[in-house]
Amino acid sequence: MIKFSNVSLVYPNSTKTVLEDLTLDIAEGELVLVIGPTGSGKSSLLRLINGLVPHHTGGILAGDVSVDGVSTREVKPGGLAHLIGIVGQNPLHGFVADTVEEELAFSMEVMNLAPDVMRKRIEEALDFMSLTTLRSRQISTLSGGEQQRVAIASALVMHPKVLVLDEPTSALDPIAAEEVLSILHRLVHDLGITVVLAEHKLERVIGFADRIVYINGDGQTNVGTPSQIMQTSPLAPPIVHLARALGLSDIGLSVRDMRRLTETVRETISVPFQSAAKKPENPVIEIDTVTVAYGASTALNEVSATIYENEIVAVMGRNGAGKSSLLTAIAGVGHVTSGQVHIHSLESSSLAGNLRMKTVGFIPQEPSDLLYAQSVIKECHQADKDNQIEPGTTLKVLEQLVPGISHETHPRELSEGQRLGLALSIVLSSNPRVLILDEPTRGLDYEAKKTLTRILIEFAKTFNRAVVIATHDVELVAELATRVIFLADGDIVADGATIDVLLASPAFAPQVSKVMAPAPWLTVHDVIAAIKDQP
Amino acid sequence: MKKLSLHPLTWWIWSLTLAIAVARLGSPIVAIASVGVMGVIVFSQRDDAPWSKSFSWTLKLSASILFIRTFIGVTIGVPVPGTNLFSLPILPLPHWMPGIRIGGAVTIERLTSALSEGVVICALIIIFGAAASLTSPHKLLRILPIYMYEFSVAVVISTSLVPQLVGSVSRIRQAQKLRGQSTKGFHSYRRLAIPLLEESLARSLDLAAAMDSRGYGISRLRSRYRPIQWRLPDSAIVLCGLLVMTLA
Repeated sequence: MIKFSNVSLVYPNSTKTVLEDLTLDIAEGELVLVIGPTGSGKSSLLRLINGLVPHHTGGILAGDVSVDGVSTREVKPGGLAHLIGIVGQNPLHGFVADTVEEELAFSMEVMNLAPDVMRKRIEEALDFMSLTTLRSRQISTLSGGEQQRVAIASALVMHPKVLVLDEPTSALDPIAAEEVLSILHRLVHDLGITVVLAEHKLERVIGFADRIVYINGDGQTNVGTPSQIMQTSPLAPPIVHLARALGLSDIGLSVRDMRRLTETVRETISVPFQSAAKKPENPVIEIDTVTVAYGASTALNEVSATIYENEIVAVMGRNGAGKSSLLTAIAGVGHVTSGQVHIHSLESSSLAGNLRMKTVGFIPQEPSDLLYAQSVIKECHQADKDNQIEPGTTLKVLEQLVPGISHETHPRELSEGQRLGLALSIVLSSNPRVLILDEPTRGLDYEAKKTLTRILIEFAKTFNRAVVIATHDVELVAELATRVIFLADGDIVADGATIDVLLASPAFAPQVSKVMAPAPWLTVHDVIAAIKDQP
Repeated sequence: MKKLSLHPLTWWIWSLTLAIAVARLGSPIVAIASVGVMGVIVFSQRDDAPWSKSFSWTLKLSASILFIRTFIGVTIGVPVPGTNLFSLPILPLPHWMPGIRIGGAVTIERLTSALSEGVVICALIIIFGAAASLTSPHKLLRILPIYMYEFSVAVVISTSLVPQLVGSVSRIRQAQKLRGQSTKGFHSYRRLAIPLLEESLARSLDLAAAMDSRGYGISRLRSRYRPIQWRLPDSAIVLCGLLVMTLA
C-alpha cells in the first residue's frame, strides 16, 4: 500500500540527514508504529507519506514514496486527500470549522461530493466514532480525547485507505488513549485500513503494532516486528525492561504474555514486609477549601489538601478534571473563586517579583511560554538578572540538566526535551521552595523522562522541597511520585501514597504492577530490589 | 433576546453601511450612538465562541488609540484660537519647520476637535470589530468562492488564529507572571510579542498543512453540506443598514 524506495531526506539549511536510504513496504491493513528519540524524524517520516514533506516544508528528497501506486512526487498533498487521512500532533491546530459536523463535512465539500453522499458518510463516521451526541458542539469546547476522535472521523469520511497519526495519545489520559487506540484497532481489523502512527508512550501502543520502524536519529532506520525490535531497542516500555532485568529468554509485549512468562519468578519471590511510611511533617503548601468556577461550570469544588516537605505529589485525573486549575491556584496565578492557598504561610496569589521566584517555580504546559530571548545563553543571562543571582548560575544549572547544549541555539530550535530542560533550569536557578510542573512529559522520550525524574527527585531530596506535578503518564508517576492526588470532576477522590492510589485503579496501574500483581511493586527497580533482598 | 441565525455576510454589510454613515456625518454623537448600538447587538447576539471575545479587545484598542490621538492632536499642530484651558511650554524647533509647533496653549476648541475626530475613528474600528466578533470566520470562508484559493487560505488562517491568539496572550502573560515579571510596561510587550509571533507562525503553518492535506483547493468546484441561506432577517438587517446610510 505504501512504498518507500531508497528514501533519503535532508532539510534545507541543515546538514543532518533525517532519513537515509529507507526502503519499506507497508502492506494493506497493517498497523505500523514509528518510534525513535525526540527530534529523530518521526514526524518527517509520517509527513512523507502524503507529500507534505517536501511539498510543504522544502528539503531534498531522494528516492520515491508512493501510496497505492501514486508517487508523491507527481501529486500535491491535496491530490492524495481521498487516499490518505492525516491527523496531526495537535488536532486543534488543524481544525478548519466551528462545529463537529461542519468539520467532518469540510474535506468532502472541497472535493465537491454530492450533499446526499456527504450526509450518509457523516452519519456513518459519527456512529463509528461514537460522536453522535456531540455533532453540533463547538469543537473548541470538546475535551482532548473527543477532539482526537473528531480529527480521526473527519479523515474517515473520505474513506481513505491509509490513516497517518502523529502521537495520537500523547495528550490524552489513559482511558481516552485506550478509546482512541481501540478505534484504530477496529479500523485495521474491520475495514482493512492501513495505519501508520508515531508514539512515545510505547506501553500504550506496542500491543497493537504489526511492525515497528525504529529511527535512531542520525538517519538510520530499523524495521521489524515488535518482538524483534524490542530485543535490542533502547526505547522500550517498562515490561520489556522487566523482561530484560529478569533475564527472561522471551520478551512479552502484553501484560498477559508477561504474566505467563514470569509465573515461576512470581512464585519464588516472597513479598517483603512493607515498612510503614514516615509520617510527613513541615507543611509547605496548604490548600484551604479552594473553589474555581468559570461561569456556570465548576473546575474545582472546595478542595483542601496539605503538601509537605520532601513530597513529590502527582496530580492525576481525566482530561478536564481540574488538574491545571489546581496547579495555577497553588501557584497563585489562576482564577480562584473562593478559598486560599498558602505556601510557607505566604498567600500565593499575593506573591510578586523576586519573592515569587524564590517561593514558587512553575513550568507551564508549553515550557516555551517562559522563554522569549533569542538564544539559550541570553535566556540564561536574563534569568540571572531576574532572579538577582550571581551571573552564570542558570547556565551552570542548565549544563547539569542538559549537558552539551549549544549556547547560541534559538530556544525554538531545541528539541522538546532540551526546551523543557532550559525552562526548568531558569526556574530552578532561583531555588524555589515549591516546584510545580503541568504535563511536562508530552513529547518526551524515555531517555528525557528518565533525566527529568532524576532531576526532580534530587531537587526534592537535597533542598527539602515540595514538587507538584500534573500528568497522565502513569509510568512516570510510578517512578517519581511519593504521593498521588486523584481528581475527578473538581473533587479530590483519592489522596494517598503512590502505591496505594495507583494499585487501587486498574486503568491507572502501571504495567509492572499489572504483571507482578498481587505483589505491590510499581517499577522494574522495585522488583529487582525485592529479588536482591531475597535470602 | 433570541439569537438569530444569520448569513455570515449580514453583519459585515450592516457594519459597512453603518461605518459609511458615521464617516459621512463625522459627528461624534452619531459615532458614540452607533458604538452603543453595536455594543447592544454584540452582547445580545454573540455566541460562546473564541472570536466573540475579540470585541472587548477591540474596545481596549480603540480606547488607547483615542488617548494617543487626542494627546498628539493637542500637543502638536497649528494653534486653534479660542478659550484657553491651560498652556504647555513650547518646544523650540529649527526655523526650517515653520508652522509646526509642539506644546503651546491648549484651547477648548483644540481639545474638542481632536477628541471628536478620535471618537469617529474609534467608532469605525469598533463597528468592524463588532462584525468580526459576531461572525464565525469559518462560516465567512465557506461562502468565499474557491478560485480565491490563496486569498481564502490567508483569510482562514488569520481569522481563525486571531481569536486563538487572544487565548495565547493570557496564557503567555500568566507564564511571565510566574517568572516573577511584571506584565505592565513596554518591556513586557516585547516579552509577550516574541513567543506570540513564534506561536502564531507555527500554528498557521500547521493549519495550512492540514488544509492542504485535506484536499483544499484541488477541486475548482465546492459542494455544500448545509448550504448557508439568505433569509428574511438578513434582508431586514441589510435594508435597515442601507436606510441608515442613505439618510446620513
